[in-house]
Amino acid sequence: MQDKKQEPILSARGIGLQRGGRWLFRDLDLDLYAGEFLAIVGPSGVGKTTLLSCLCGMLEPSEGSVSFKLSGTSDSKPVELRRHFGIVYQDLQLIPNADLLTNVLCGRLGRFNSLNTLLGFPKKLRQEAYRLLYELGVGENPHKWAKHMSGGEKQRVAAARVLFQKPKIYFADEPVSSLDAYYAGRVLGLLRQEADEKAKPVLCVLHNAEHIQRFADIALSLNQNDPKAHKMRRVRPLNVEAQV
Amino acid sequence: MSPTPTPEHEKVPPLAELPWYRRLNLLNTTLLIFVLAVIFSGSQIEGNERDLDILKNLGRFLSDFFPPDLSVLKSTGSALIETVEIAILATFFAIIISLIIALGAAQTIGPTWLVFSMRMLLNIIRTIPSLIWAVIAVAAMGANALAGVAALTLYSTGYLGKFFSEAFESVDMKVARSLRGIGADPLQSFQYGIWPHAKPLIWSHCIWMLEYNIRSASIIGYVGAGGLGLQLHAYQEFHQWDRFATVLCCILIVVTVLDFLSERIRRRIARRDGSNDALSD
Repeated sequence: MQDKKQEPILSARGIGLQRGGRWLFRDLDLDLYAGEFLAIVGPSGVGKTTLLSCLCGMLEPSEGSVSFKLSGTSDSKPVELRRHFGIVYQDLQLIPNADLLTNVLCGRLGRFNSLNTLLGFPKKLRQEAYRLLYELGVGENPHKWAKHMSGGEKQRVAAARVLFQKPKIYFADEPVSSLDAYYAGRVLGLLRQEADEKAKPVLCVLHNAEHIQRFADIALSLNQNDPKAHKMRRVRPLNVEAQV
Repeated sequence: MSPTPTPEHEKVPPLAELPWYRRLNLLNTTLLIFVLAVIFSGSQIEGNERDLDILKNLGRFLSDFFPPDLSVLKSTGSALIETVEIAILATFFAIIISLIIALGAAQTIGPTWLVFSMRMLLNIIRTIPSLIWAVIAVAAMGANALAGVAALTLYSTGYLGKFFSEAFESVDMKVARSLRGIGADPLQSFQYGIWPHAKPLIWSHCIWMLEYNIRSASIIGYVGAGGLGLQLHAYQEFHQWDRFATVLCCILIVVTVLDFLSERIRRRIARRDGSNDALSD
């Protein structure tokens, strides 16, 4: 998919993070190009979420730096580019006392000023958000509050919200951990589609080997015993069409 | 199956009881102080040491209340409506003022200097009882219902401001922060990230305040601030206790109905957070 002559969209150089006197990872270099799907893998507690947080600018790494080259923006620091990042948090961070539709619509709050959204979102956008909910199997009751949905349903709403946001780069922390095989495939398939058709990079913490094999281009595995022993492995060769 | 006996070499050691001073936690200490305070305050129940037949006095006084004079029902009804109107308006104005103050008084939203000054302001407002606010309002605006509205607005603001700021503080700010992260402006992150969480709690406090204000509005008329209190005061002045009883009965009915309704609504809001399905069942 990517052309090596192009500049990487995300570049991490020698990043490392120390927590409680222990290094979770060190000397990590990463270049992610347009349309690449990176899976971050490793056992529980190894620092996958922390690495993702460092890459998307929510955490400052103890050493090294992360920079971005996003089209249409002149900034390169993650903190300044946050509005262009689509993030699926592990704890989802949905608005529990708002309906599913509003939760999805909030993905695009950054595109409007507060006066436009004071009395709600335009009808056209509502229909678009509903279509995503419907596609992910949570369109049956779009006016139900998020707090009354099951864990799997909430996870699909979070996926719908990030897809609706249309960000320039995706960061997803275990976005399918509570989903059955069918919906896990659907969510990851839609993210893969974003990478393939819109050349957007996707960084995703994944556990399931089959998902990694099926959807990822590169797998970055962290090592619990040695913070420097992380491995980057290409899962699928370059320019191979995704089997979604 | 019988339980396996403890082996001889693993004999359970004797239980070490806590020494008395270890039991003096905050709860027990304050309880002890309160009991001591009750003992030392005992002198106050001696009264004026006159040999009064309290029960006989009370009986004679209460007998004046019966039967209630229902001929004043019509004027009581209109005073009752005025009382409720005073309470509704005062609650409405207090909600608006409190929302603004509470935004500054919530530690999770306002800067420290603003939080400190807003809390000081709310503390000062709360220190003054509603009847004193009514005296002040009557002095400034004359003896009318407007004085009642102003007095109760100020009084309620002290409470609602505190409750609202606590409601805002109870909201997990993660959602609001993540909305800011994707480019939402402060108003949007408040509208979509904080307000939906705080709304049920805030509305529950508003209903409680309305109920409370209707009770208070019945009393503040005593100092001239309109409503039922004005009537109560007049009947008391002229010792028309049978009419006084009619007004009391009306207050009792309204307050009981309100108490019942507000309790039910607030409990339901707390349980279901007033979701759409709660309205349909």
